[in-house]
Amino acid sequence: MGRGGVRERVGAALIAACLTVIGVQSAVAGRANDTLVVAIEGEIPTLDHLYTTARDTIVVSELTDDGLFYIDPDTLTYVPLVAESYVQVDDTTIDVTIRPGVRFHDGSVLTADDVVYTYNWVIDPATNTNRGRLIANWLGSVERTGPMSVRFHLKHPYPLAIRDMAFSVQLRKAGAYQGADGKPDPNAESLKLNGAGPYRVVDFQPGKSVTLQRFEDYYAASPKGRPAIKTIIFRTIPDLSTQQAELVSGAVDWMYNVPADVAANIGATGYAVHLTGPTLRVNFIPLDAAGFTGADNPLTKLDVRRAMIHAINRQDIVKYLVQGDAEVIDSACHPLQFGCEQDVSKYSYDPAEARRLLAKAGYPDGFEFELWAYRERQVAEAIAADLAKVGIRAKLRFVTLTTLNQARKKHRVPAFFASWESGSTADTATIAETHWSLKSDRNFSNDAAVARNMEAAARTIDPDERKRLYSEALRRIADQAYWIPLYTYSQNYLVSKDLAYPVPKDGLPRLFRAHWRAAKASPAKAS
Amino acid sequence: MLRYASKRVVLAVLVALAVSFAAFLLLSVATDPASAIAGEGAEPEMIEHIREQLGLNRPLLVQYGSWLLHVFHGDFGTSYYWHQPVGTLILHHLPVTLTLALSAIFVTLIVAIPLGTIAALYPNSLIDRLSLGLAVSAQAMPSFWLALVLIILFGVMIPIFPISGDAHAWNYVLPAIVLGAHSVPAVMRLTRVGVMDVMASDYIRTARAKGFYGYRLLSRQVMRNALLPVVSVLSVQLGYKLGGSVVTETVFAMNGLGRFALQSIVGGDIPTVQMLVVLFAMTFIGLTLLADLLNAWLDPRIRLA
Amino acid sequence: MSEMDLSFKAAAASETGGELLDAAPARPKIWRNILHHPGLMLGLAILGILVILAAFAPWVSPYNPYDQNLPQRLLPPFWVHGGDAAHLLGTDHLGRDYLSRLIYGARVSLLIGFGAASIGCLIGVTLGMCAGFFGGIIDRIVSFILTCQLALPGLLLAMALVFLIGPSVGVVICVIGFLHWSYYLVVTRAATQKIRDLEYITAARAIGSSRLQIMVTEILPNLFSEIIVIFSLEVGVAVLAEAALSFLGVGIQPPTSSWGLMIAEGKVSVFLRPWLVILPGIFIFLLVLAANLVGDGLRDLMSNESRR
Repeated sequence: MGRGGVRERVGAALIAACLTVIGVQSAVAGRANDTLVVAIEGEIPTLDHLYTTARDTIVVSELTDDGLFYIDPDTLTYVPLVAESYVQVDDTTIDVTIRPGVRFHDGSVLTADDVVYTYNWVIDPATNTNRGRLIANWLGSVERTGPMSVRFHLKHPYPLAIRDMAFSVQLRKAGAYQGADGKPDPNAESLKLNGAGPYRVVDFQPGKSVTLQRFEDYYAASPKGRPAIKTIIFRTIPDLSTQQAELVSGAVDWMYNVPADVAANIGATGYAVHLTGPTLRVNFIPLDAAGFTGADNPLTKLDVRRAMIHAINRQDIVKYLVQGDAEVIDSACHPLQFGCEQDVSKYSYDPAEARRLLAKAGYPDGFEFELWAYRERQVAEAIAADLAKVGIRAKLRFVTLTTLNQARKKHRVPAFFASWESGSTADTATIAETHWSLKSDRNFSNDAAVARNMEAAARTIDPDERKRLYSEALRRIADQAYWIPLYTYSQNYLVSKDLAYPVPKDGLPRLFRAHWRAAKASPAKAS
Repeated sequence: MLRYASKRVVLAVLVALAVSFAAFLLLSVATDPASAIAGEGAEPEMIEHIREQLGLNRPLLVQYGSWLLHVFHGDFGTSYYWHQPVGTLILHHLPVTLTLALSAIFVTLIVAIPLGTIAALYPNSLIDRLSLGLAVSAQAMPSFWLALVLIILFGVMIPIFPISGDAHAWNYVLPAIVLGAHSVPAVMRLTRVGVMDVMASDYIRTARAKGFYGYRLLSRQVMRNALLPVVSVLSVQLGYKLGGSVVTETVFAMNGLGRFALQSIVGGDIPTVQMLVVLFAMTFIGLTLLADLLNAWLDPRIRLA
Repeated sequence: MSEMDLSFKAAAASETGGELLDAAPARPKIWRNILHHPGLMLGLAILGILVILAAFAPWVSPYNPYDQNLPQRLLPPFWVHGGDAAHLLGTDHLGRDYLSRLIYGARVSLLIGFGAASIGCLIGVTLGMCAGFFGGIIDRIVSFILTCQLALPGLLLAMALVFLIGPSVGVVICVIGFLHWSYYLVVTRAATQKIRDLEYITAARAIGSSRLQIMVTEILPNLFSEIIVIFSLEVGVAVLAEAALSFLGVGIQPPTSSWGLMIAEGKVSVFLRPWLVILPGIFIFLLVLAANLVGDGLRDLMSNESRR
């Protein structure tokens, strides 16, 4: 690699040499000890995924928990996991047969009783699980139909039932939340977890680290397979520079959410491997078309919104800032998602056209507006600079996520830099509901027709009908330029040279698929 | 003395009330803790659910009053984010910050007092000018920049100290230097002035006449009087360090109260922030009380005032 | 000496050394002595250069600091391999010329430094004069306010205000000003107390001047020299405070180029591109150093004067 390659190497060599001082951990990590050390930025407050939505906990939960279903990383479809098979009996009934031989970490066998207990616990409003209410929206009841079979009764047809089961309901043993005094204890699994996943927890220090070990009695027939690595340790290292230092010194083997520049540079030094991978995350900017922040504000005019999309050089931003596997999008969804119509109005990069449209709309000298953001500062700045070139002065407001949500609730936000991962689900419903429902404060369009379509598409399980509904809605959205669609996000990983890590298509890290390389191979991009 | 101290306690309580209410108000208006808890990809319905759970839709005065009531009963609240009692969390993070603050004061003392004393004993000499120059320079550096420079020096060039984490004693060296560097000028100047003033007194002139020079003029009494103002300054500085180590802890990735406070403020974790603010206010006033008491003990003249 | 005095003293002394508290109020006639004080001269010189840079930024800087040029991003300075002479100090993450941003950054830092110091001055001097002149319950109230301000985390206040009003340079100036008036307060209060008891004040009261008149016409001018000293020191404090706030994310917003923000943006690649952090830091250092030198120099001159 050009640009100071030798210098970088020398610098990095010095870094590595000195940073072995950093501590005991360097002796622990790596192939020699069959221990994978992962650095994460956020804290893990609890082991119980039913009671947290902290971002990094899902990576841990994939290892420690199993649900009835699972998203196959290669096909992005839902396959039975703890379930052996399922039958859609009718629009609102699903029969599930449970696989024999699945064990919890404490050794007991998983049966229909455990499944029923878990689901009842989740939909019970008194238990306050994080996603309970969302599940209870569609799940009426679940009943045991045999020692290894259950039947789910839905309140209405719901196409994402299997997905919600896979994503949100990690199985617990019957009676898990029974406190010693007989009263229910929601915190029962937060410090010690009895899950059914391929790894079990051997040590947990909230906010600092989680240590996992391969569960030897994990069922052989599992689609997740038997993990190759024996021990995985998650360490919370909030500071990015420190993470890098630890990685280079060998104390850490795997990192994700690394900024593109940093990852590229460290990869170039040869001390770690830089992997990029797609995700289901899309970035976009909703515009206040409905006039919530001011009845006559410029964003209420269609020509103005179209002009804004024309003004931004999305290709350059993707190429130079986001890099990796990112791609420009034109529709209000991720191209890999079911129902994501790609045949929609597209607005090319054309500043002259932007100015023409602005003049036509009555703003020949441009206008001013506030662009709020809580992430991707560099991209937001770049966008603001592009808009400024056609006369639109975007006042950037960088705030924290909580502040943004508060402001949006109060209708103080005319436009914000939005990002949505759709729970790594390849279905448009997961992005549509939240952003186009008339009750959502993320919906700046107030468009009843779109809302109707989105809602209907989430209430039927007929794939063709759903496609039709989404297609119609997405075409209208693009036509009306309710959003400035930006790009799909590319995830950057930095991994040890000894590690082989298959990069996931949906950006959801599945560390049970990682394994050590056999011999000292030169760093290559794993696929 | 007792009346004095009890007046301080009343003051401490009043300040704590005022400040905790201000903090509560500011956070309630500027943040939405429910969305911090729910996370980035949460559906609005989930966020609303959490808001109800936490009682965030009640009128502000009711929320504050409820918190106050709980505090009087010894219940310091549960963190929105960590689901653990705030008291436990604060105790968990306290040792790091305390160690850091004390190490920083130690650094300040071993650098500033000798330098200040030497500067006073040989006024206008090269040492005096150099140390004044050092003092002025140290005060002019942004602490986080100094921290980053130290990281570059000791992370890339001369590998002696660890540059992150708080696991071992060695981890505290660089952060203590950064945190302590800022107080060195003030303490040094105070020491210098204090010593110089004492030097000018009759008692010293007599000693000089008898043939004592340089460091032999230093006695317990000289140092005692010279260091009087230093004591008060240091105790206030300790307060600042405890509250102001946010930047240092962030750059060096240490798990102290400073970082914890930053995370809590940013995340809108109201119960935690309120307790932290109360704690800091109490500590601050307690430290100034300590300083006054120390001063009284060191200089009997003040006691009589 | 009231019990409040001791902690007041401590709070003030923590800023720079407290000698000012004992200086007798005097109208300075010693401006000619400036030339003999090397520290003061150096400080004024540096300040002068920075002010000129800031004032003539559009003519001095090679590029517009907002000119984005993505294909040219993250170029190193010309002395590093890969650097380009077209951009002497390299470019930042959006391809903007670093030297230009540093020069324009002087504007922001000087504006904030002087602006915040002024606001702090306004608040602190007013409160200090009232507390010193009226004493009694007003004094206690002011002391209470001071303690509260010292106990409230500045970051919290900054974050909330920036949210409520918006992240303009003006808001940042106000925030920093609101957080740094304690030193003015303490010194003004002590000085006011001393003057209050002098005979000519009693005389003025006797002939019927209102209290406000006395404060403005008799007391304030005597405080002038002290306030100037504090002001110059507080400029340095304000610049550092802005840098810290920007570093923590609640200060100046992009695309405005502030030195503190530039450091914050460069921190993530500090190992591989240390100049992104070192260069702005040097500038901050110079400005604050200059401010401190001027402040110290003025104080030295004053205490020399008062010893005569």
